[in-house]
Amino acid sequence: MLLTRTCFSALLAVAVAAPIFAQGPDAVPELSGVWDGGPRARPVNGPNMPWTSENFPVLNERGLAFQEVFDEAISPKYDCVPSTPPALVYDPYMMEVVQWPDRVLFRYEKDDQLRTIWLDGREPNPMDYSLQGVSVGHYEGNELHVTTTHFTFDVTGFDDYNGIPSSQLKKVTERYWREGNQLKLTLTVEDEMFLREPASFTTQWDPGAEGYKLQSYACDPEEARRPVKFLIPKYQ
Amino acid sequence: MAVAVAAIAWVPVGAHHASAPFYDGTKSVEADGVVTRFVFRNPHSFLYVDAEGDDGEMIAWEIEMGAAVMMSRRGWTPDTIKVGDRIKVVGQPSRAPGTFGMCCAELTQPGGDPIRPAN
Repeated sequence: MLLTRTCFSALLAVAVAAPIFAQGPDAVPELSGVWDGGPRARPVNGPNMPWTSENFPVLNERGLAFQEVFDEAISPKYDCVPSTPPALVYDPYMMEVVQWPDRVLFRYEKDDQLRTIWLDGREPNPMDYSLQGVSVGHYEGNELHVTTTHFTFDVTGFDDYNGIPSSQLKKVTERYWREGNQLKLTLTVEDEMFLREPASFTTQWDPGAEGYKLQSYACDPEEARRPVKFLIPKYQ
Repeated sequence: MAVAVAAIAWVPVGAHHASAPFYDGTKSVEADGVVTRFVFRNPHSFLYVDAEGDDGEMIAWEIEMGAAVMMSRRGWTPDTIKVGDRIKVVGQPSRAPGTFGMCCAELTQPGGDPIRPAN
């Protein structure tokens, strides 16, 4: 009995110390850690970043019409509604990546958001819509590939600045890899409801400060909406 | 009220929204008064200052600052600025008529020293 317990404990210790990855440990790049997406690592986001004149999305008629009537005052962020990919991914905050055998967790300091990337081969339920969508992924070479679909409609779902929405047809693909001490990403967004063609950017994170723990964001709705009164109203 | 601005210590500005639709970057305003509140929050902090205007009337300024999570990484805390502190603020004025908002401001003590976190 004692021997059995000892053997079980030893096996458990091995299992905990060396997680069994579905594709084998050689195929799993080390992406875990706290990553700094602030101005130290990359230009801060804005109307022209990361969507520049070079990669700005080509909108269809529906997207152009929506952009024309969009009023900044109704942006959900002024009520603390979290942003979604691609905007969430480029916000200039800290992010933590945790790799488990069957999933990768992306924790964003901005808006206290958590995205789970499932690696177990599951497919989204057809009606499994949510703000951050459903993410599935796999390791390929030294990269993590992520595909996210099943987003709910988002008034500012393309980015935080240009009045471009996203629909339930939005599909975001992300490719993460390490380059030196940086975490790199190429993100592509498709949404035939509003975009004529896919749009993409490449960006990076620096390692977060040693020992840094993500803080609680705890968005305050009163303070979030406060600057809206400084806008010139679009509709009188 | 409009003054030329020399960069001293720019208050961190959060990346929650663009400043241009809210504030006029081509203008500059100044407020020299007393802190009534400092709300250190996300997605942006706000500093409230009562200052006398050109006509002698009291103006309640609302000065937008950065997100608390970003400012705290630079050493800011809810106590970096205290109620009752005398302060001078120079920044961009809000666009909507009748409002007294300000952003992208530099903060200095009465003697001209920039206000910075203690550490």
